[in-house]
Amino acid sequence: MSRIVIFIFSKLGSLLATLVIMSFIIFMLVELMPGDVAQMILGQSATEEAVSALREARGLNEPILKRYALWIKGVVFGDLGESIYMQGVAINSILWRRVGHSLILALTAFLMFVPLSLFFGVLAGVKEHKLSDSIISFFGLATMALPEFVSGVFLISIFALKLKWFPIVSVIPIGESLLSNLNIVLLPAFSITFVMFGYVSRMQRSSMIQVMHSDYIRAATLKGMPRSYVIFRHALKNALLPSITIIGMNMGWLFGGLVVVETLFGFPGMGTLLMSAIKTRDVPLIEACVLLITVIFSLSTVATDLLYSALNPKIRLTGGQR
Amino acid sequence: MNTFFYQLKRSPLAILGILIIFIWILIAIFGPSLMYYTHTHIDSEHQMVKPGVNRHLLGTDALGRDLLSRIVYGSRSILTVALLTSIVSTFLGIIFGFTAGYFGGRLDSLFLQTMNILMAIPPLVLSMVVLGILGDSTIFSLTLIVSITFIPATARVSRGVLLTEKNQEYVSAAHIRGESHLYVMFIEILPNTIGPIIVEATARFAYSIMMVASLGFLGVGLQPPTPDWGMMVIENKEIMTQAPWAILFPALAIASLVIAISIFSDFVSKVLIHE
Amino acid sequence: MKRSILMIFLILFLSVTFIFAGGAKEKVKAEKVIRVAEQVPGLITPGVWDGQAFSFNSSIYEFLVEMDSDTSELKPLLATDWQTDDGSTWTFHLRDDVRFHDGSPFTAADVKFTIERTQDESIGHLKKQDFAIVESIETPDDYTVVLHLREPRPTFIYQMTDYNMAILSSQYDYQRYGESQPMGTGPFVLRQYIPKEAAQLDKNPNYWDSRYPIVDALIIYFVPDIEASISMLESGSVDIVPFVSQVIGKRLKESNPEIELISPYQEMRFISMRVDEKPFNDNRVRLALKYAMDPYIIARSVAQMELGDGIYYNESPIMNILPEYKALPLRERDTAKAKQLLKEAGYPNGLSVDLYYASDHPFGKELSQTIQELALEGGFKINLKGYTRDVYLAQYWLNVPLSITGWAGRPDPSMLLQLAFKGGGSWNESHIDEPQLNALIDKISMEPDDAVRLKLYHDLQDYFYAEGSLIDVQVPLLIATSKAVVNYRHPLTQIPQYKYFDLK
Repeated sequence: MSRIVIFIFSKLGSLLATLVIMSFIIFMLVELMPGDVAQMILGQSATEEAVSALREARGLNEPILKRYALWIKGVVFGDLGESIYMQGVAINSILWRRVGHSLILALTAFLMFVPLSLFFGVLAGVKEHKLSDSIISFFGLATMALPEFVSGVFLISIFALKLKWFPIVSVIPIGESLLSNLNIVLLPAFSITFVMFGYVSRMQRSSMIQVMHSDYIRAATLKGMPRSYVIFRHALKNALLPSITIIGMNMGWLFGGLVVVETLFGFPGMGTLLMSAIKTRDVPLIEACVLLITVIFSLSTVATDLLYSALNPKIRLTGGQR
Repeated sequence: MNTFFYQLKRSPLAILGILIIFIWILIAIFGPSLMYYTHTHIDSEHQMVKPGVNRHLLGTDALGRDLLSRIVYGSRSILTVALLTSIVSTFLGIIFGFTAGYFGGRLDSLFLQTMNILMAIPPLVLSMVVLGILGDSTIFSLTLIVSITFIPATARVSRGVLLTEKNQEYVSAAHIRGESHLYVMFIEILPNTIGPIIVEATARFAYSIMMVASLGFLGVGLQPPTPDWGMMVIENKEIMTQAPWAILFPALAIASLVIAISIFSDFVSKVLIHE
Repeated sequence: MKRSILMIFLILFLSVTFIFAGGAKEKVKAEKVIRVAEQVPGLITPGVWDGQAFSFNSSIYEFLVEMDSDTSELKPLLATDWQTDDGSTWTFHLRDDVRFHDGSPFTAADVKFTIERTQDESIGHLKKQDFAIVESIETPDDYTVVLHLREPRPTFIYQMTDYNMAILSSQYDYQRYGESQPMGTGPFVLRQYIPKEAAQLDKNPNYWDSRYPIVDALIIYFVPDIEASISMLESGSVDIVPFVSQVIGKRLKESNPEIELISPYQEMRFISMRVDEKPFNDNRVRLALKYAMDPYIIARSVAQMELGDGIYYNESPIMNILPEYKALPLRERDTAKAKQLLKEAGYPNGLSVDLYYASDHPFGKELSQTIQELALEGGFKINLKGYTRDVYLAQYWLNVPLSITGWAGRPDPSMLLQLAFKGGGSWNESHIDEPQLNALIDKISMEPDDAVRLKLYHDLQDYFYAEGSLIDVQVPLLIATSKAVVNYRHPLTQIPQYKYFDLK
């Protein structure tokens, strides 16, 4: 028991260290890039004095390390600061709602592509070289090659415009929450699913093939066990494991895809918030969004690692020494 | 090399993949000069016409520009950036990965920690933020940023293969001979590890096409009128029902290139790793 | 065991799909609610509001006067009447029965506050230069305001129709709450606001004009994607979508008879050449660029319309719908002459120049690429530099040799002339500072006699044709509404008048 706990704690510890350093880098990166926020707010015709007065008022003239310290202190206590572009608007008031929306979108996409790709990957692997395999493989390859916005555009044109099954709705009626309007999540989640399906199903297929060709599976078949029994009792267990790694490794792509898909569908999530923050050089908002995305992404990576370790007896027993 | 061709003859899919890549490279190099229309020419009387009208083999977009020409010109920039990115990221990956793996110890831990940090931000998000704030995207800035986001992947592969070779006899032999570290790393070890590194490089090629197309879609691609395939899809989205070919063809272009490269990458992996 | 896990997964996936496809919620509303899908606004506090998301602000705030959308006459709104002597002193009498949404009464002090605020350096007020002409403001009683201008401005009243001159409460902290809790005297009160997502406004029960607003509530969605907005319009989820492009408009007209397209006014796109530096300091180079242009191609490629049928082209800043407009013949395209002029100006091998524009502003991309292509044949090699609008305006706009900028039409063009074409004007893109032009502009601003002023405007346009720094493309703005919307009013001031709208 203690081995596992130590393992989890060490993972979380390094995660924390990573995040701290990451926050510093994010802060530096955004603050040091060209483009003066004060100038943006006041416009071109502002006088020099007005611009520097605004910078002074917003604390933009403080030494950068001090600003970082202030920001981090705020973050730790839950205060992500105020938007510089929209004066008086606390970032917390707009950000968390969007975070929730994006998480729901990501979760939906996850729930869609994971079962689908695992199932079809296994199927393709089992029916190796047969027709169904070729179809599935080809489909996987094709979808993998389409960036999310491309599959999104196709989905829109087919389902929303031609067939009119799902109108492209990307707003939540005011006063309601996303949870009571989940139909707007469907098309965007579908688009993400396409790409992820490609990767994961192909990996699942090749891992399944490998396992099916392995000695002990053949031995089991030779012993006379029914094929389906062999598949489900023995092969699956080992074939599924690498997929978890693949899913974990592609989480980064999932998050990137999230931004693309949100932009395409106008979905009110973190991706679109980040885009508009970049457009207006709203530095605190950019920092808050990137930080949050990083945190969520890192947590999901750690979760995948832990899941992998939990399921893989080799890791469990050797205590994480890979 | 012989095994390469032998295997090649046995898998028609790989041949198809290589052929497609080859065709695109030819298109990128020679295509533009063969086009009837330039990629910026505005044929204002033939806007959104179907393929085949008025010598527009693939039709025109909302402004009246020839789609075939734009796709052909666009292939140049996308292939250039993708190629440069895979080369640069592989090269940097080798440098970082080899150094970390070879010297081990603290340098290695520093490397691993840095890679962890770099991997904490999803690559598209990082690229989008940096390029978005910089404002103007050039081939140089695109290549640089995307390569940086790819380093963790290429460096990990390089480091991995170096570690497997590090303890081989020929390495110790070189040490005894008194060869310098650089010599050992790049003259002795590198040739033996080139296989997986190349496989990774081809995978990076495919990824960078996706990245560049996506960044174009997000509005931080190359400046118009450079025809960025990703931007073409987005620009023509509003004429989707009137001129579906305007998004169909750029999408097919992206897909065909990525599929071909993926097939090729798979094949190379099969050949180089299992020999 | 594994089979059951797989089965569970499959069922999970299927059920997820079914739940989500569950369908839209139908809410039965007895009241009349207009729903709008417009772009995501940047800043919304009046003063720094840069002209996006009009539905929102125009319903919360009000102005001293409003323009009739049919006749373009000015009608009293918060001001009951106004007088001037020769244009140097303006007296406004105000309504005495108006309250702000927070209950405080509207008085002359609020008007004074709103105008004085334009000069506040820390705000970056977009009307700062326009109102610098106000020397002093008196409020002899609670419902009278007297403005003393430094110079006579017979057409000054039009300044009060500008969308950034919404009347604000002198008691309210707009610096802190302007972006998150806007507050005015308008026909609609803000009920709920999710920044950058949506807003719900209810009928103002204490509105001073009991006849209006006609509808009970206004719901505004800020939708970044125009396709999504259109889709919502087609499916009936919203009633109005402002600012659709021509292409989409055409498509809608063909596919959906339930949707109407309205073109209430036009905007201008100024292609400005900087005349205080090379290369455009030489009029021959300016003329060369003008000779390289083809208005017919520009019209078709930028808006998919025929020139003269909703899209217009001229070389002066006076819009063709204004009475001051002088119709000058279109310059015939002559690329040979363009090249010749360049050669004479010292560029025998052509000229390379950077063109800056806002890439996410309507028509920006199309116009810049069309100009680039056309200018090529005239000997110009134009390099396009597109940036998002905020960045373009903040970092590049007034400092570059060649630029494309969107300008709203102003009912009184003298305001624009002072801002953009007079030496020292704060938005003088072309850095033009011609003594004779400056004198002409001043004369126009101060001339009380309409006939004389008209002649002066004509002289102005002649000047621009001969040696001006400007090419102007007037682009149409389309509003798409469902047939259920009645009484849509939207004058040249760009302020939609939601209080008059009705739903069938």
